[in-house]
Amino acid sequence: MNAILKTEDLKMTYRVGKVDVNALRGVNLAVAPGEFVAIMGPSGCGKSTLLHILGGLLRPSSGRVIVDGEDLAAMSDAARTDLRRRKIGFVFQRFNLFPTLTAEGNLKLAEHIHRNGKQNIDDNTRREILQLLGLENKMRHKPLELSGGEQQRVAIARAIINRPAIILADEPTGNLDTENSTIVLDMLRKLNRDFGQTIVMITHNPEAATTASRTIEMRDGLIV
Amino acid sequence: MDNLVLSNIRQRPTRTLIRVAGVALGVILIILITGLVRGMLNERVRREEGIGAEIQFWRIGASSISASSAMPLDVRYADRLKKIRGVRMVSPFGHYVQKSNSGLGFEVVDGIELDTYSAMSNLRIVEGRAFQTDDEVIIDEFKARQENRGVGSAIQIFGKTMQVAGIYSPQIGSRIKMSLGALQRALSVENKCLAILVKVDDGSPPEEVARRIDAELPNNQVVLTRDIGLNFRREIPAIQGFVRAVMGLSMVVSTLVILLAMYTTITERTREIGILKSLGAPKSYIIGVIEKEAIAISLIGVIAGLVVALIARFGIEWGTTLQLEFHWTWILAAGLIGLGAGAIGALYPAVRAANQDAVKALSYE
Repeated sequence: MNAILKTEDLKMTYRVGKVDVNALRGVNLAVAPGEFVAIMGPSGCGKSTLLHILGGLLRPSSGRVIVDGEDLAAMSDAARTDLRRRKIGFVFQRFNLFPTLTAEGNLKLAEHIHRNGKQNIDDNTRREILQLLGLENKMRHKPLELSGGEQQRVAIARAIINRPAIILADEPTGNLDTENSTIVLDMLRKLNRDFGQTIVMITHNPEAATTASRTIEMRDGLIV
Repeated sequence: MDNLVLSNIRQRPTRTLIRVAGVALGVILIILITGLVRGMLNERVRREEGIGAEIQFWRIGASSISASSAMPLDVRYADRLKKIRGVRMVSPFGHYVQKSNSGLGFEVVDGIELDTYSAMSNLRIVEGRAFQTDDEVIIDEFKARQENRGVGSAIQIFGKTMQVAGIYSPQIGSRIKMSLGALQRALSVENKCLAILVKVDDGSPPEEVARRIDAELPNNQVVLTRDIGLNFRREIPAIQGFVRAVMGLSMVVSTLVILLAMYTTITERTREIGILKSLGAPKSYIIGVIEKEAIAISLIGVIAGLVVALIARFGIEWGTTLQLEFHWTWILAAGLIGLGAGAIGALYPAVRAANQDAVKALSYE
């Protein structure tokens, strides 16, 4: 398979006090371009650690992580940050929007960072994404003036505004009610279907996992 | 407000105000202190030059800007000076330094021989009369206007109440004058003075007369009045040190205020730093955002400090006899110090923020 995201014997050990905790024990994973993968498993099985390593927020103890042809595990912190800027979009359970900025400000900030401070993307591209996510009339609102579902849609818009190679979503419906969860999952499915966006999503919710084209189960730091 | 820096500044108005005040305080300190030093020195020089004596004759080590009221020079030098070729007239004087009646700074009372001093300087009584007893003084028009004193007003000198006998013009020497004899008696120094003013004959070059005086009365100081400003600055190197100390202190105060405020701010915004990192912001970007915020606040502080200093100058000049002179170099220095303090104070919190672990930052509560 021609994978856009691939891990080989990925291991991660944390030192907690005097005890070593093996969060990942040799994960082998391949995600094809345009694939929508859900990762499920109980708390503490290593899902979030895997997602953080895939996004370059953590460096693994050993193994390889190939993102769109580049080995993240061998990179310096600065190089991983740069790869994240160019190729990865994050969606978090807690939305993680800047509370002092409007929805539009949050999007422009992501564009600004992606473009290394150069001119932002054209308004048409931004409008197309906002229409897709139903946010055209919410751009002047600050996060606290939006519902949880709207905040998460802004967070999704921020993640895709720069057209990253991969979106990594960490329990994107974990803080939402059923109605808003359905809306957000529909958005993710639409992005995957209409734009061919590669998505890796962590979830506890089996219903949410059915949105994905493939579900991976994790137990005790391994894919089962 | 879609700019992260500006929106963060607006988010916490009280904290922003404290940071602005911290920088402004430093700027105010520098501008006011340097303005006060400069104003007092220059005004003193102008009033010394206004007396009309081209030369001043001093004992070695004595100084007109000393806070001491000592009178080390024998007045009989006046007779010897008069005999030197080129000397037209002489006038011995003394001074008494006391705490200002306003409580701000100090004031000097001149003890003069009115006849010779008036002949030399064209001093004239514009209201009332000259002092006649040891309990009488004359004051200049500025002091009379500033302190709302008139003829017959009481004034505290030597810790006792004296009376304003008259008001004189122009503004020369110190603003209060009394008889040299009265001053000698008050200080128990008969036949002594602080220095002797020397006016040269018309057409006589003061430098040549000064050389002659120096030759005939060696081991004294012969000072050309036109050099007096230069001498003031040379005689009080402590002023430069004091000004530098004020600048250093201002820098430290402003830096600490910014450092503490930015450190608290960064701790509060730990999660936001994590978000920036998740978006792929490099360390330089994060440091840049924090530095820009600190510099923007410092800029507001510098402007606020300048405005407050201008208002304070008006207040000080209105309420006291002190004169302040602002100079663009000190205003520039105060501005640069304010901005520098902001940039330096924010550096450690900024670097600390940029080096935070992204995952820990994102999970910060």
